[in-house]
Amino acid sequence: MRLAFWLYEGTALHGISRVTNSMKGVHTVYHAPQGDDYITATYTMLERTPQFPGLSISVVRGRDLAQGVSRLPTTLQQVDNHYHPELIVIAPSCSTALLQEDLHQLAAHSGVSNERLMVYALNPFRVSENEAADGLFTELVKRYAVSQEKTVAPSVNILGFTSLGFHLRANLTSITRMLQTLGITVNVVAPWGSSIEDLGRLPAAWLNIAPYQEIGVNAAAYLEETFSMPSLTEAPLGVESTMAWLRSLIEKLNTTGAERGVPPLVMPNLKAFSLDGLSAPSGVPWFARTADMESFSNKKAFVFGDATHTVGIVKFLRDELGMQIIGAGTYLEQHADWVRKELEGYLPGALMVTDRFQDVAQVIEDEMPDLVCGTQMERHSCRKLDVPCMVVCPPTHIENHLLGYYPFFGFAGADVIADRVYLSCKLGLEKHLIDFFGDAGLEYEESAQATEAHAAQSESNEELSSTVERASAVVPATIETSDDGEMKWSDEAETMLKKVPFFVRKKVRKNTENFARGIGEPVITVEVFRKAKESLGG
Amino acid sequence: MIQVPGDIQIIKEDNVTHSFCGLACVGWMYQKIKDSFFLILGTHTCANFLQNALGMMIFAKPRFGIALMEEGDLSKNEPTLQEIISEIKADHNPSVIFLLSSCTPEVMKVDFKGLAHHLSTPEVPVLFVPASGLVYNFTQAEDSVLAALVPFCPQAPAGEKKVVFLGSINDSTADDLRAEAEELGIPVGGFLPESRFDKMPAIGPDTVLAPIQPYLSRVAVKLSRERGCSVLHSLFPFGPDGTRAFWEDLAREFGITVDLRDREKAAWEKIRKQTDLLKGKKVFFTADTMMELPLARFLHNAGADVVECSSAYIIKKFHARELEALDGVRVVEQPNFHRQLEDVRRIKPDLIITSLMTANPFVGNGFVVKWSMEFMLMPIHSWSGVISLANLFVSPLQRRSKLPAFDEKVWLEGVMPSAE
Repeated sequence: MRLAFWLYEGTALHGISRVTNSMKGVHTVYHAPQGDDYITATYTMLERTPQFPGLSISVVRGRDLAQGVSRLPTTLQQVDNHYHPELIVIAPSCSTALLQEDLHQLAAHSGVSNERLMVYALNPFRVSENEAADGLFTELVKRYAVSQEKTVAPSVNILGFTSLGFHLRANLTSITRMLQTLGITVNVVAPWGSSIEDLGRLPAAWLNIAPYQEIGVNAAAYLEETFSMPSLTEAPLGVESTMAWLRSLIEKLNTTGAERGVPPLVMPNLKAFSLDGLSAPSGVPWFARTADMESFSNKKAFVFGDATHTVGIVKFLRDELGMQIIGAGTYLEQHADWVRKELEGYLPGALMVTDRFQDVAQVIEDEMPDLVCGTQMERHSCRKLDVPCMVVCPPTHIENHLLGYYPFFGFAGADVIADRVYLSCKLGLEKHLIDFFGDAGLEYEESAQATEAHAAQSESNEELSSTVERASAVVPATIETSDDGEMKWSDEAETMLKKVPFFVRKKVRKNTENFARGIGEPVITVEVFRKAKESLGG
Repeated sequence: MIQVPGDIQIIKEDNVTHSFCGLACVGWMYQKIKDSFFLILGTHTCANFLQNALGMMIFAKPRFGIALMEEGDLSKNEPTLQEIISEIKADHNPSVIFLLSSCTPEVMKVDFKGLAHHLSTPEVPVLFVPASGLVYNFTQAEDSVLAALVPFCPQAPAGEKKVVFLGSINDSTADDLRAEAEELGIPVGGFLPESRFDKMPAIGPDTVLAPIQPYLSRVAVKLSRERGCSVLHSLFPFGPDGTRAFWEDLAREFGITVDLRDREKAAWEKIRKQTDLLKGKKVFFTADTMMELPLARFLHNAGADVVECSSAYIIKKFHARELEALDGVRVVEQPNFHRQLEDVRRIKPDLIITSLMTANPFVGNGFVVKWSMEFMLMPIHSWSGVISLANLFVSPLQRRSKLPAFDEKVWLEGVMPSAE
């Protein structure tokens, strides 16, 4: 038992519904108390679904439990009459899983034929969103994929694209465009937009593309084992990774092609991958070499997220933008080993593995990086600390479900990520000017931020801070006091600190305080501040 | 079919879907009672619900949290919350901790009453609030929170005749209600809840309890039984019609006769543009927040054609006046969503008031919708809320008429591949 406020991963039910909400003709029936279908709102609101998601609930009420009544059979009949699904996945929630009901038997009372029902009862206390989604998808592939002739021309399946996935549509478009350029046919995309019949056709493809470690690689592994289909499980994230991905794709398809006597695919001139067909496919390699980007050599980045994006972004930032990686972590414990292996040699310390956002926020506060790449939660933590942050993976927020074409995959994706890094970080030459001459008239931004920060303070602190304000107004010359372990600053030192550009002020304050603690100074005076500047090179 | 006075027939169906469980009340209750902490004994599901569906992010120090039950906790006889309670006290220093139940510990038959009692200290009481989705709908757990607060309402002496308004509303609406009551000569005892735990109102045999939210029947019954106070049975103070009835009936309880006909007329006049637009419009309520009856009654009196008013629970006595005023309107308790979908397709309402889970799909099917939850987050009470209330219904209709024509075959292409 622990006190939790916010969690990175959703529940097993969430994972199950992500798969079925992606698919045509598949419906999930939750056997759960009222409100456990709250997940439906994530589809109707984040994905703005214009139809009712394939999710229904067979409500379990306290009174029904007492009377031994189950609404499951009736609900199944109603869902069948109304939606005519080819398959109904029945899933208990955390509370109903404890009831240990025989859901198969209950479901049989509905009269819906057995082969159209699937009880997917996971242990919701052990399995979370991604594992459940991956597990169900693999199960469905096992259930429906059948041996068949391969397509004549080279073709691929794209696996693991799932409802609510990060920049799902744009990533899919980016991959599909590259395949078109190479003349490769897409056999099936699954689960996003696929039907059960499509799952049956999976083995007709020559190869499976499964770029997400979280969902799809296990299905690809099954298909490889059972139908000898090679798979490509790297994520084309960044220019270098995309090039490697393309080479690997061509090589694997050509191996199959050679066996089948099909002429080999060749890598076209790279400008064929650009939007206009006439230019470099990405601006990143040149951008990274420009003088403007020189300052990025000193910028420190911290990355925290799922497995796929944490690995891809760390590599991209260090290898392609030349930034320093001061740490990385993931909330997916089951994928931590894979992340560690992939990032060997990239991290100065151990990979952080935690599902407590407070611990991640603490690391960010201690390190004050120049850039954080994280989830919606890190964006939130960073806002409080005034640290630049970009969201690179789920869990997301409505702000991450935009209309425009912003892929993370492929050449276009590399441009999108680099643009976001550039816009998130403080700039190069402009920063020099501000550092040298003061605040360049940008001071007004601070007062706005200060108001925001004040508003973000907990209400319980309000009384305290107003008391402090009043006290300091009465005795202006005294040293400001604070009782929560913060360092004291003299008025003169405080005035000096105000001359530091506002956007690094918090960082300078913190570094100076750490320095003062280190040399055992209880109060930051002008002298201590100067010493700190000298020794820290500020 | 249930017969109620006035011959209103309530159609009762099998269950409400697409709505939230009682834990949703944390979203507004923790903000209302400023020195409280809301602790939910629950699972990953509860945590995910609060952060996802209610869109709640964690600001500086949230005054709510989940005592997260993990697999190892399932085999324990009694959950050990002492450490978590200490952590909360150290970090938040609350005056009261509300301990909310959820489905999993309810299934495990955790003795919440004993647990809360055991964790309580004279300085910081821990109060049990039943809230699980096995029993409680969306707004109903506010009823449980208020019931838990009853022992902390001082006993008002006999002869102290004052009104206590029942239901959480924001401070400015509370000020409006207080001022209005005082103007009518009605002495105000306070609000249940007030915004601080130590400021709960005194309630005694001569208190008149005036419910201002339609989902608080249990605490009203409890107070009248335990304190002998009387409960106002009127319309809820929404819209010119409801507001007039509410204040006239409340004044009558204090022996004051007021005639607010002119005031009501003036209020209708103020929203004439809106009601002109609403006249004859077919409106369908699918059931979500339990505010449906008074909202539908306002629309009915404004000249709209309420084609269905569904609500999760209808409490015959508590809602009697609203039901009478809805004479002739189809009223459904615990509606079946599949049946509703068929009826919506057949009746083709002009406006559907529905939950977050169903709103956009209705739009995708060509309908105009309003989120039911918005009515809970807007100041729509009494005279000062009349315009906001009317605008909430009218704005989606107006907006739709301003947008360009929409060819769904073109603009919905590829939006939801699973539905194609």
